[in-house]
Amino acid sequence: MWKSYNFPVFLLSESSTSTLQEIAMKNEKTERAYTTNVAEFDVVMQTTKVGTHDSESCLKEETCLPLGGYSRKKMSFANRSDVYSYGDITILLRGGMLRGGSVWSALPPIDRLSSNQSKPIILAVASMDAQSFFRDKSLGADSPISGMISLLAAVDALSHVDGLDDLNRQLVFLVFTGEAWGYLGSRRFLLELDQQSDAVHGLKSTLMHLVMEIGSTGRGLNQGNKTFFAHTEVSSASNETLDALKLAQESLKSDGVTISTANSSNPGVPPSSMMAFLRKNSSTSGIVLEDFDTIFANKFYHSHLDDSANINSSAIVAAASLVARTLYVLASDNKNLTSSALSAINVNASLVEELISCMLDCNPGLSCELVKSYISTTNTCPNHYVGVVLGEPSSTPHPNQVDDISRFVWNFLADRTSTPKGDTSVCSQDCGKKGGVCIRAETDGKGVCVISTTRYVPAYSTRLKFDSGTWQLLPPNSSDPMGMLDPVWTESNWNTIGLRVYTVQDAAYDRLVLLGGITVTVLAYLAILLTRAYITKALKQD
Amino acid sequence: MTVAAGIGYALVALGPSLTLFVSVISKKPFLILTLLSSTLVWLISLIILSGIWRAFLPLNSKTWWPLAILIFTSVAFQEGLRLLFWKVYKRLEDILDAFADRVSKPRLYLTDKMQIALAGGLGHGVAHAVFFCLSLLTPAFGPATYFVDRCSQIPFFLVSAIIALAFVTVHTFSMVIAFNGYSEGNKVDQVFVPSVHLAAGMMTLINFASGGCIIGIPLLFLMAILTLMHCGRMVWRRLTENQRQGNS
Repeated sequence: MWKSYNFPVFLLSESSTSTLQEIAMKNEKTERAYTTNVAEFDVVMQTTKVGTHDSESCLKEETCLPLGGYSRKKMSFANRSDVYSYGDITILLRGGMLRGGSVWSALPPIDRLSSNQSKPIILAVASMDAQSFFRDKSLGADSPISGMISLLAAVDALSHVDGLDDLNRQLVFLVFTGEAWGYLGSRRFLLELDQQSDAVHGLKSTLMHLVMEIGSTGRGLNQGNKTFFAHTEVSSASNETLDALKLAQESLKSDGVTISTANSSNPGVPPSSMMAFLRKNSSTSGIVLEDFDTIFANKFYHSHLDDSANINSSAIVAAASLVARTLYVLASDNKNLTSSALSAINVNASLVEELISCMLDCNPGLSCELVKSYISTTNTCPNHYVGVVLGEPSSTPHPNQVDDISRFVWNFLADRTSTPKGDTSVCSQDCGKKGGVCIRAETDGKGVCVISTTRYVPAYSTRLKFDSGTWQLLPPNSSDPMGMLDPVWTESNWNTIGLRVYTVQDAAYDRLVLLGGITVTVLAYLAILLTRAYITKALKQD
Repeated sequence: MTVAAGIGYALVALGPSLTLFVSVISKKPFLILTLLSSTLVWLISLIILSGIWRAFLPLNSKTWWPLAILIFTSVAFQEGLRLLFWKVYKRLEDILDAFADRVSKPRLYLTDKMQIALAGGLGHGVAHAVFFCLSLLTPAFGPATYFVDRCSQIPFFLVSAIIALAFVTVHTFSMVIAFNGYSEGNKVDQVFVPSVHLAAGMMTLINFASGGCIIGIPLLFLMAILTLMHCGRMVWRRLTENQRQGNS
């Protein structure tokens, strides 16, 4: 997928594909020698037209935009079209810009007013963007959406647990976007953390105790058993997490869930957001939970075919249960841990089913009840492409600058991590001052003010800086001159894309027709002259 | 279709009319006026017909009898209009003759009357060609072409241009025959014109059968040639009669 091709590739819908196949067959067995069926491609990419073939030059010429979160509205050159159809061919274009932002949420909410922020933090991480050869068909069901659904279901399970305030450690959930494009979401987050920006207020890198990343979990079903693997870099620091996982596994024995450490013959972590954390601090204690050991179980990794048929909901439920209970063990730090408390943490399987049908299917898609209760959107088919950044990125974006999935995740996490339940009021100006956020602002009048610590974090490459209306490219790290570890991905500006198929005649046949028309005219003229001459001659005879 | 092919199709349908205009009609201003007003009258008649039949659309194209009724009523309407056209022309002729008498100039000759009839007929033909053929060509410019399933050997536009040519011929010379028939009181000529018009119209239904245009179009041209020949015979007869009358 990373190769460059000098021809366009179109993905057509089912009906269009069969139409095109028919037409191609007709070309094979044609009775007329002077006609052929042709296809006309209508696609203009501004970077190709102008000749700016890499990110640096195209950003300077403003023929492209960097990938990442937040954009205000569609730009003048790019047009939005949901379904473009011409003649018989229908192309599904999700078109336009999908904007994104990473989301983090604390359970229980961090008390902003308290200056004493010394509880160590357990960070649970997942990602919400996917990638494929076709930008508009990037579902990423197994990698990474199944992990995100596991995390959301785990948050929901933990939200019903009492006494989280009394635990020794603070749970923070983090859903990145842009991970499929050089892990720009996690890189940006860590940079913001270093700079202690507004977006990460309440978090400090010194307080990070350990990181647990939930990678792909949808293919963990093996003959009725759900097996997952824990990948880790530094074995000694991660012992605590592995012990917690084992405890959780014990409590889930009856459900046939097993977690094992990854094979030591293949050390390290698989491609994951953890790599960004480890690059910052190589002694970070962290594990990556995946459904594979030494080789990927997902044969449709980064493919448009990685859809809901590629995953199993019971594996996701099992992973969510494992994660929820492990996080509880880690947060309680073995203080007053009872097996009854652990077995009280249960994941709602129907919630997982609902999340799958909302995030990974077109029917009901984003018009499902769960999504509709938090955000209002006109799209139904979900797409997890990260999108581009338009305008200046900020830590407090307006809701209409953020894409549907990010907004849903933000609302969902804010709702689930909010306390106390039931004590909500209509949103007003001082909601933020009370330490609360406005959820359901698009669907329920002015929205509901809940006490929750849930924030957006901008997501774009760490080598980009927005300066006076244009994007500046910062030079790469001296130890990384090729920019391999810090890539800058951009998307060319484009206009409406189309494809049409029709029959053409040979130019020779057209010329023949023209000749025929002229001949007919000339012959008629001659006939008229002859007739007139004949009549005048015959009349003069007498 | 491409521009070259488009001009070709237009010439097939209207080339002979163009030559007729240039060589006969354009010589006399009165004929140009007759042609223009005739084209207008027959275009309006087609518009009225389509307006009335709009209410019955869409017609079921699987069965042929709704279309037969459509053609029958349209032909009947146009033939009725032709009679009216004749009556108006007769009034005009009387006015022109009276004027000629007043200024002591000669009255309309037979050849003049025939040329007026020819201009009227040409107007009818041009209206038909514009309505049924040119209106299809003008929006169709572009790189592609189009073939109909039931007549897949030649492009659709060529088929319609050829049919339009046949009808232009039929209409142009039918008017000459009809005016002559009305003025002479010749029943044969008076019946001939509507019959040929109706027959030609009904023959286009043959094109509905798969591959029917191979039979339908030659039959149409047969009708056109029949009209031409009948008109030629009638003109010859009238002119020689007139000649003899003049000399005797």
